[in-house]
Amino acid sequence: KSKRRRIKRRDDDRQKRKRGNERRKAGTRAGDGEEDLWGVAEKRERSKRKRQKNKQETSRREKNEEEEVQVTSGKAAKARKNIKNEKTRRMEKEEVEENIEKGKKKYGSAKIGEVKEDGGKQLEKAQEVKKKKHKKVETSSELETSEEDDDEEEDTEKDEVRPECLSPEELEKLKEAVDERKKLIQGLRGKPWSMKKKLVTLRESQEFVEKYEGALGKGKGRKLYAYKVMMTKKWMKFQRDFENFKTACIPWEMKIKEIESHFGSSVASYFIFLRWMYGINMILFCLTFGLVMVPEALMGRPYGSIPRKTVPRAEEASAMDFAVLWDFGGYAQYSVLFYGFYNNQRTIGWLKFRMPLSYFLVGVGTVAYSYMVVIRTMARNANESGVGDDNSFNFSWKMFTSWDYLIGNAETADNKFASITTSFKEAILEEQESHKDDNIHLTRFLRVLANFLVLCCLAGSGYLIYFVVRRSQKFALDGLENHTWWERNEVNMVMSLLGMFCPMLFDVISTLENYHPRVALQWQLGRIFALFLGNLYTFIIALMDEINLKRKEENTVKFNITMWEASLYNGTVSENSTAPPITIQPADVPRGPCWETMVGQEFVRLIISDTMTTYITLLIGDFLRAVLVRFLNYCWCWDLEAGFPSYSEFDVSGNVLGLIFNQGMICVFDQMGSFYAPCLPALNVIRLHVSMYLQCWAVMCCNVPQERVFKASGSNNFYMAMLLVILFLSTLPAIYTIVSIPPSFDCGPFSGKNRMFDVIHETLESDFPAWFSKVFSYASNPGLVLPFILLMVLAIYYLQSTSKSYREANVELKKKLQMQNEENKKKNKQAALKAQMDLEARQTAQAAEQQRNNNASLQDQEGHQMPATRDPGSRTNNHGNHRPSGYLPGFTQQSEPRLSRVPSLQRN
Amino acid sequence: MVSPAIALAFLPLLLTLIIRYRYYFVLFYRAVLIRIWKDCVTGLSREERAYQHVLTHATPGDPDSILEAFDVWCSKVEFISNIGPKKGKILDRLLMENSPLTVLELGAHCGYSTVRMARSLPVGAKLYSIEMDQRNAAIAEKVIRLAGFDDDMVELIVKPSDEVIPQLRSDYNLERLDFVFMDHWKKCYLPDLQLLEGSGLLGKGSIILADNVLFPGAPKFLRYLRKCGLYEWRIHRATLEYSKGIRDGMAELVYQGIK
Repeated sequence: KSKRRRIKRRDDDRQKRKRGNERRKAGTRAGDGEEDLWGVAEKRERSKRKRQKNKQETSRREKNEEEEVQVTSGKAAKARKNIKNEKTRRMEKEEVEENIEKGKKKYGSAKIGEVKEDGGKQLEKAQEVKKKKHKKVETSSELETSEEDDDEEEDTEKDEVRPECLSPEELEKLKEAVDERKKLIQGLRGKPWSMKKKLVTLRESQEFVEKYEGALGKGKGRKLYAYKVMMTKKWMKFQRDFENFKTACIPWEMKIKEIESHFGSSVASYFIFLRWMYGINMILFCLTFGLVMVPEALMGRPYGSIPRKTVPRAEEASAMDFAVLWDFGGYAQYSVLFYGFYNNQRTIGWLKFRMPLSYFLVGVGTVAYSYMVVIRTMARNANESGVGDDNSFNFSWKMFTSWDYLIGNAETADNKFASITTSFKEAILEEQESHKDDNIHLTRFLRVLANFLVLCCLAGSGYLIYFVVRRSQKFALDGLENHTWWERNEVNMVMSLLGMFCPMLFDVISTLENYHPRVALQWQLGRIFALFLGNLYTFIIALMDEINLKRKEENTVKFNITMWEASLYNGTVSENSTAPPITIQPADVPRGPCWETMVGQEFVRLIISDTMTTYITLLIGDFLRAVLVRFLNYCWCWDLEAGFPSYSEFDVSGNVLGLIFNQGMICVFDQMGSFYAPCLPALNVIRLHVSMYLQCWAVMCCNVPQERVFKASGSNNFYMAMLLVILFLSTLPAIYTIVSIPPSFDCGPFSGKNRMFDVIHETLESDFPAWFSKVFSYASNPGLVLPFILLMVLAIYYLQSTSKSYREANVELKKKLQMQNEENKKKNKQAALKAQMDLEARQTAQAAEQQRNNNASLQDQEGHQMPATRDPGSRTNNHGNHRPSGYLPGFTQQSEPRLSRVPSLQRN
Repeated sequence: MVSPAIALAFLPLLLTLIIRYRYYFVLFYRAVLIRIWKDCVTGLSREERAYQHVLTHATPGDPDSILEAFDVWCSKVEFISNIGPKKGKILDRLLMENSPLTVLELGAHCGYSTVRMARSLPVGAKLYSIEMDQRNAAIAEKVIRLAGFDDDMVELIVKPSDEVIPQLRSDYNLERLDFVFMDHWKKCYLPDLQLLEGSGLLGKGSIILADNVLFPGAPKFLRYLRKCGLYEWRIHRATLEYSKGIRDGMAELVYQGIK
């Protein structure tokens, strides 16, 4: 503590020196002015106690100081009581300086050490006094506490001053004072004071302004002024409230902030990503819901009107069972949720809503929208990042930027502290190793080994999925009813389990590689990405097989249907030719397998099972574990919380990838999915909504902050890039199915057409004027399309090359700036060196000169007292006097403030 | 019946668990399984076996060689939770820096840490070592004497720590403890610390070093430290003795007294 105090004093001293004479003058002027202003009030209302104290102070000072100083101090004391602005403080400092000088003079050429000792004694005394008076001693310097003392009394005094009974010129002065305060508040940020002092000054000034601002002006003007002031205040408050309101409107903002404060920004970035995803899915959901599902439900033909909208007779008995509904069969299958329900009527309802066209366009639109959003976000993120270079000032960066100021939790702060320390250690080690680089082969070997192991894992899981899919096809051929629930859901189960456990294994393997956690996270993400993608593609390939199977089945069914119709027709003809045609229940009509609905069902099931696994893992792996650890810890032989099982950490990479993977599936379905199951975005929105709350809760309740909390600065774009890739990869099979496979003949909005995109042709032909379709056919002519594509490629190339040149220019500029900085630094250094040399030369010269004077002054020490002067020049000279020739400047600075403190302490 | 494919999908989980917690499995094997087996085979206690090894492999009167023999036995043959060479270095450094005159050790076990501490104490210092278990204390006594430390330097007290601490002032004429080393039951850390505070033996600047605060761990002790504010404290992070992957720490407390 004492050290801190000393440093503070030194700072004060330096301040004093820096601002020289003029401040001093200003100080006295202001002091006088204020004194006049407050003279009136003082006379009226000064309390007795106050006066007493004043007397005490002055008397105490009299003992120590000479008469000349007394006068100033008296002034200062008065002023201090009334005004607390910094100028008074300066005045005090001024006194303090005088005291130093005096002290110096008194002791003459006696050694500084003695002076120090004496000062120390006085300091102790002062502290005793202070303890009696005041409780807050800890950090505030003595000067400030003394002032605070005064402030308290002052406040009581102030309350009694009524602005109404002041004369005009007093008011004028008051106004000036208020203005001054305002100016002070504005310029406070730039003042070279300690934070504490700034805060105190700010608070005081604000109080002052608040109190007297409204009182200014007179009569009508005063009222208007007061009104204006009030309104501005109200307006400011409203603005602040509005800002708060805006923040409150951002969904989950507070939750995410809280998590960020506990777990650092990397975990928070996941939740921000989740929210972003939620927003996008909301829009997708609105598109599909508003343009496809609702119109069909409201205006399309009702359930049971045509065969594709009714449950077939064979399934009717079990169509409402929960098990069937849970598998999205039965009534769920024959509803707006799936592709097969939609009719191929060109327009529906009185609005003439073009359903098939809308269906197609929504599918294309969702994908286009996803792409657009992702690319736009990526571009924006790229602008933000990518400026700093990481390698040049490694340690400085670590030193000054590694603290995460968003952390608001003691444990996380501990972790962060530890992680910064370890990162420093590691960086130092790395630096050493980069010079040695003997271990590089081992690291390389380990990294290759790790990648090899991961590849093995991937291959193994791929094979397992392939095996399972093959088996499930066999089951499907046998008929699903003969098998257990486990066997029927094997594919989904295995996929979810692998998706859950393999990342854990990767995580363990990646410890071999010894990367920085940020890099490790990216590797981890990449690997899980590969895993998920592999799984997804195996799944899709298996689906393709199934689609082909269904199409073969379809052909046979088609043939059967024609036979059936023929027999029906023949039957009616043979029975009675005049009878009305027999009405057949739509449930009895035989129908094709409708592979689109099957695909949709599969994907929906996958998403559901995936979500369930996530939640169940969350509950078992996190919550149950946390509960066990927490409560078993009371009766266990080792510390479960800190040691072996511990609480789980939040797994950023796995969660992020789960999200991305699901989004990819949505988009496969937005072609395959919003195509084949329009309910998918809705399901996803629900899923995201629930998982937002559930994961927020789980994170806060059963996870511990990661051991190495790190900033996830650049990784957001990494997520985006991955999202883009998976979007692209998952649209591929969708586009393939749309382009190459003809839609089923008896279900869905495109039934009866050769290809799904024929819808556009049809619309162009029938809904637009002839010239438009002509123009369109010209435009789609390859002779026009190819040059256009060529032009686009050229434009892209041009833009890319310009951006590259800009980047180069940027780098050049940065280099230039750096050079300039270095040059400046060098110059400054040289100047400083030169000044120091000069100073030293002067000092030695002076010391030599003063040596003689000192000898003389030693003899007549008692009687000799120099007059106290206000000239700073002479003061520095005096300093020079008492400095032994080899004395370091830093030391004198340290000892001086200690002296300077003494008189101000004694006043207390 | 769960299909084999689903069971296979659990393989990565199993692998992960095995790899991640391998040190704990190894520790379990060495500290528990081997111990039980050897106890049955030899009929001696673990400490006695360690003592036999030390007796045959170390030079009498040379603390360093005794410590080394212990280290070899504990890392190669069986496991005993001594302080170990790595954390021992921290202990040595603290003792060298502060050169305490009165030292208290709670939990001598088989004398490893006692020898380690006595080795780096200044001349004229006195070490009181408390061990609850009779058999362990007998072995610790032998080890200490083997290392060449006499009664004036090291005094072994065979009693539970919570009985001894209140009597230290009256029975052993202690005024102040400069250094306390805790390595006994982890559950006793907190009550013993509070006893020490209550007995008034701690002065300003007294150092208390507690081993194994992270594994097996003394959570209540740490929680108390965070709250009470009587100490300046820090945790030296290290690994568990004779094992690489299990993290452990020693808490170093400097008593500040009531401000």
